[in-house]
Amino acid sequence: MYCRPQPFWATVAAFSLGLLAVVPDARAAEAVGTKDRLHWAFHPVRRAPPPADSLKNPSLGRHPVDAFVLSELEARGLGYSPEADKATLLRRVYLDIVGMSPTPQEVAEFLADESGDAFEKVVDHLLASPRYGERWARHWLDLARYAESEGFKADETRPNAWRYRDYVVRSLNADKGYDRFILEQLAGDEIWPEDAEALIATGFNRHYPDESNARNLMQRRQEILNDITDTVGSVFSGLTFACARCHDHKFDPIPQADYFRLQAFFANTAADDHIPLLFGEAKSRYDERLRKWEGATRFLRAEMEALEAPKRAEILSDYVDKYPEEIQVALRKPESERTPFECQMVAKAKLYIDPSSHQYLAPSKAAAAKLKGDQKKRWEALSQELEKYAALHPGPLPVATGIRDLSGTAPATHLLKRGNWDSPESEVTPGFLSVIGRRTPEAPSKASRSTTGRRTALAKLLIDPSNPLTSRVMVNRLWHHHFGRGLVATPSDFGVKGESPSHPALLDWLANKFIAEKWSLKAMHRLLVTSRAYRQSSEHRPDAFRTDPENRYLWRYSRQRLEGEVIRDNMLFVSGRLNSKMGGPSVFPALPAGMESRGGWKLSPDASDRDRRSIYVFVRRNTRYPMFETFDMPDTHEPCARRNQTTSPVQALTLLNSELTHGWAGSFAEKIHRESSSALGDQIERAYMWAFGRPPTGEEQKIAEAFMHSQARVIEAAAIADPERGVSPEAVARRTALTDLCHALMNSNEFVYRF
Amino acid sequence: MSAFTKLAPSARREFLARVGSGFGALALDYILRRDTLEAEAAGHVFDPLQPLQRRDPHLSAKAHSVIWLFMEGGPSHLDLFDPKPELERLSGTPMPASFGKVITAMGTASNTLMPSKRRFSRHGQSGHWISDWYPHIARNADDLTIIRSCRADGLNHVGSVCQMNTGDILAGRPSLGAWATYGLGTSNENLPTFVVMTDAAEVLGGPKNWSAGFLPTVFQGTQLRQGNVPIFHLAAPMGVDDARQRGKLDFLRTLNGRLGARRPEDSELAARLDSYELAYRMQAAAPEAVDIGRETEATKALYGLDNPATEKFGQICLRARRLVERGVRFVQCYSGSGSGWDAHNDLEANHSKLCLSSDKPIAGLLADLKARGLLESTLVIWGGEFGRTPFNEKGLGRDHNPWGFTTWMAGGGAKPGTVVGSTDEIGLRAVDRPVHVHDLHATILHLMGLDHERLTYPHNGRGERPTINAGEVITEAVEA
Repeated sequence: MYCRPQPFWATVAAFSLGLLAVVPDARAAEAVGTKDRLHWAFHPVRRAPPPADSLKNPSLGRHPVDAFVLSELEARGLGYSPEADKATLLRRVYLDIVGMSPTPQEVAEFLADESGDAFEKVVDHLLASPRYGERWARHWLDLARYAESEGFKADETRPNAWRYRDYVVRSLNADKGYDRFILEQLAGDEIWPEDAEALIATGFNRHYPDESNARNLMQRRQEILNDITDTVGSVFSGLTFACARCHDHKFDPIPQADYFRLQAFFANTAADDHIPLLFGEAKSRYDERLRKWEGATRFLRAEMEALEAPKRAEILSDYVDKYPEEIQVALRKPESERTPFECQMVAKAKLYIDPSSHQYLAPSKAAAAKLKGDQKKRWEALSQELEKYAALHPGPLPVATGIRDLSGTAPATHLLKRGNWDSPESEVTPGFLSVIGRRTPEAPSKASRSTTGRRTALAKLLIDPSNPLTSRVMVNRLWHHHFGRGLVATPSDFGVKGESPSHPALLDWLANKFIAEKWSLKAMHRLLVTSRAYRQSSEHRPDAFRTDPENRYLWRYSRQRLEGEVIRDNMLFVSGRLNSKMGGPSVFPALPAGMESRGGWKLSPDASDRDRRSIYVFVRRNTRYPMFETFDMPDTHEPCARRNQTTSPVQALTLLNSELTHGWAGSFAEKIHRESSSALGDQIERAYMWAFGRPPTGEEQKIAEAFMHSQARVIEAAAIADPERGVSPEAVARRTALTDLCHALMNSNEFVYRF
Repeated sequence: MSAFTKLAPSARREFLARVGSGFGALALDYILRRDTLEAEAAGHVFDPLQPLQRRDPHLSAKAHSVIWLFMEGGPSHLDLFDPKPELERLSGTPMPASFGKVITAMGTASNTLMPSKRRFSRHGQSGHWISDWYPHIARNADDLTIIRSCRADGLNHVGSVCQMNTGDILAGRPSLGAWATYGLGTSNENLPTFVVMTDAAEVLGGPKNWSAGFLPTVFQGTQLRQGNVPIFHLAAPMGVDDARQRGKLDFLRTLNGRLGARRPEDSELAARLDSYELAYRMQAAAPEAVDIGRETEATKALYGLDNPATEKFGQICLRARRLVERGVRFVQCYSGSGSGWDAHNDLEANHSKLCLSSDKPIAGLLADLKARGLLESTLVIWGGEFGRTPFNEKGLGRDHNPWGFTTWMAGGGAKPGTVVGSTDEIGLRAVDRPVHVHDLHATILHLMGLDHERLTYPHNGRGERPTINAGEVITEAVEA
């Protein structure tokens, strides 16, 4: 299993002419036998037409998705369930595409629309809604292990990480092609260096957890590279590359050399948390204002600087002295004399010692804090004087956080024995999976002075139509979210140990269709949700259940528990509290009283901000927002393609007892009061319409009325009158009983699942 | 009142039979069900519809429960359990080159060696060396199994605390308590079965230290807070009395019961119905379990609750005993949480205070467990994420030392009065019988009746296990 060192000539050949040819590694290919190539995921995507004609009822197969699904069902003696009733279907598709349920008005309109394409119109309406991007961005952020803090000890905030979240929302809403989406995230800085969106997109590879305070920068760099390699391999190619870090993959045809070949694409990258987002004229205007401020304050600042300098030097040397000797040597060298590897080390140290960093250890204030006596007084006076010029300053430059290459020359990448950072073996050059390398064309990467071009080469390999993984993996992710289970049930493991596809021909047809539709996600969403497979009922059918208890072959729609984020969004929406403002820095809703969060959780001062959509809630790596965590929001330390789905008493306690849900229930009840007559029956009907998108049945109406009466008696017995507002105990009790009805509805299974 | 209770008895019976009873009513989706089959094939069996159901151990279990006393920040083995006379001789000189090169957290490796200012003596029949910082614990010397040759991989706190909990310095893996819960289930369905308590600030790295990682979240640890509401949202908000809560729950059960009756095959919906009843029971059980007001004055004094210096950690240790009595499996008690033991500047001041605050409570816990016959079935573990260096930092402190440090165990099948392994002459590195964190984990699981190699969970194409790729049971530390 051990891979011999790469011949010297191969390396030389690869680097001559400044061209880096991405060619299959000959020995890696050797290690990957022909048998491995037979695994379905590495086959070229086949082009079989939908088997509509062979169906018992060919008219049912007019929709291509149904032709494939039905042919598998019929082969097992099964067929579709009846169509879901319209109200259920509407609630299903709303929660699926925009993450909120339909209003009573929308339900009424849909029920009244008897045209043949009523549902298609709804789908188009939903896909055009900006709420779609907010809903589906969360799925992508799970994969991007998106968080807004470093993790590890201090879990410091990454102040501009949110721009990436907004980028994903915007990209989805604009229906950006998935090919472009990949190019931007992997190599936006190389391909479109003056396009703010493309630069923000590189944040994808910046979302790694990082022990920014580590002393061993060699190890730290290796851990970052490992994270990027594992993430890129699993997100875009659906393979468990991480298993090949220490040895050849035990099951899949990924030799250890392939792991480091993939890693080599990123060998010269480093985080850049200060990517300016102003260009051209806007940048010139900014610079001009800044120059004015600098000119006006030159002498003030010079004098302050003279006071600060010795203290600053103390702070920095106290920190730098703790680095191992070789790092200190690199830091002391002039930039031009540093090797590419030393440049890497210096870049890693920058977070704390670079004056432009948001975590710079020795900004003016920190240095000044060490001054004493007259010096301190003088500095304070100067500082006050400087403050007077604040109006001249153009403000902080808007910046993004992402990655970039440090130069055109990357440090060597070595295969590491057992994956240990300090056990380098043979050198490897950038390259993609050997097992499909033969079919992917060479993608030469052109280095410039500032970048190696390697990531562009990788991105092009990924989006090449002959790459059998990229489109298959992505359409399967879409299927997974729409249907609750992928055609491949392990969306990030297309390897030998992953699930085989339930509908291989359909998967391939969709993969081709995706490319033919110019990688449009919205086209695929529309295709999937307008199928009869999606529109069928989720009700139980004992006969079909016996044949296919897992519903692998889709004889019904699989009901799904809502994610914690959707539960919160929909509770806010139904209660009339949702603040639908889009984008911008994240918000901080209340934590349970007494809960701490290292790195800070400063409650949003504007109360309406606390009611914004869940996608805008700050993501602190070490402290997930408790309601989301309880409902299985994944750990942000690695990509998550398929969330766990658990049911626990802690979830019940959260929805039943938290001040938040009680508050939302109160708002919901007030809304019902406003929107309906004071008749109990009307109130119950309105509450059902909002919570479940349907009116109560006669029996449900009776049960709810009985509950309201008995609950009001219980409440009245506790005698909580409000004499000041002249409200009788009976009226208080009735109102409170309505709140309890609303609260119970929002706790019910019908609310937290979509059927 | 409730329409659910009005369901035909047979329908109701069928409905509930699916759910099982108690905590067994927690359910996962069908995908996990298949994962279960894989887990079964890999050697471990659990039912995702009843993930916390009590399960048989692989081996005969000696320890029913674990109480892990975590001295966070890195207690100095050189000043507590591992005396080094050689340091006296080399005092004030740089570390001889023969001990090798190390990179330390604070770049102190070229600083001079610093002997301990503590007085060490031998205790009990075992003759364990224990310093005068731990006089009460020293009286229990014969209960201790002292492992002097521990080693770990991290240089900094957060990675090292993470590794001591999860096996890896990088976050994302399940905590050992989560693995144990996954392996064994619960024996008290009304209480969380993996519990964490802290005496000061937030543990470095926060809740990821007791996270379930890639295991289902039901296995994650629950932090019990100080005061009367130890779990968030345990009590209804002010103004919601029990009758009102009960009325609402009954209505909710009716709503869910009617929906469930239409979908009798759906055990997850049934489990969610039942989770509300469990939550309701937990509302009463959890505050009772941590209510130390019910203990006698003598017991309180035993744990040092009568002294402000020892009261805080004493309360935690006493709560730990109450939890273990009620069947909780895995209890972690952090002393100096938020890296309190991290004595970079002034070891004497720092450790004097923390040793004082933990000595009597820990000794009280050992004595109390023994008196109640619980020590045999309770494994007590004492240790930090690493030890400290023999060379000084800033003259009076010591830097982090993951290359050699001490952990001790007591009860629960650990071999009393034993010493395992040793560090070199200056206490820098484990030399004789090195014990990696994975070995500690393998041993703890072994005593709980779990084979660390058979305890696997399918994740990303691999049958993951608590010890990753390594780990051996420390046979010398375990009673035959």
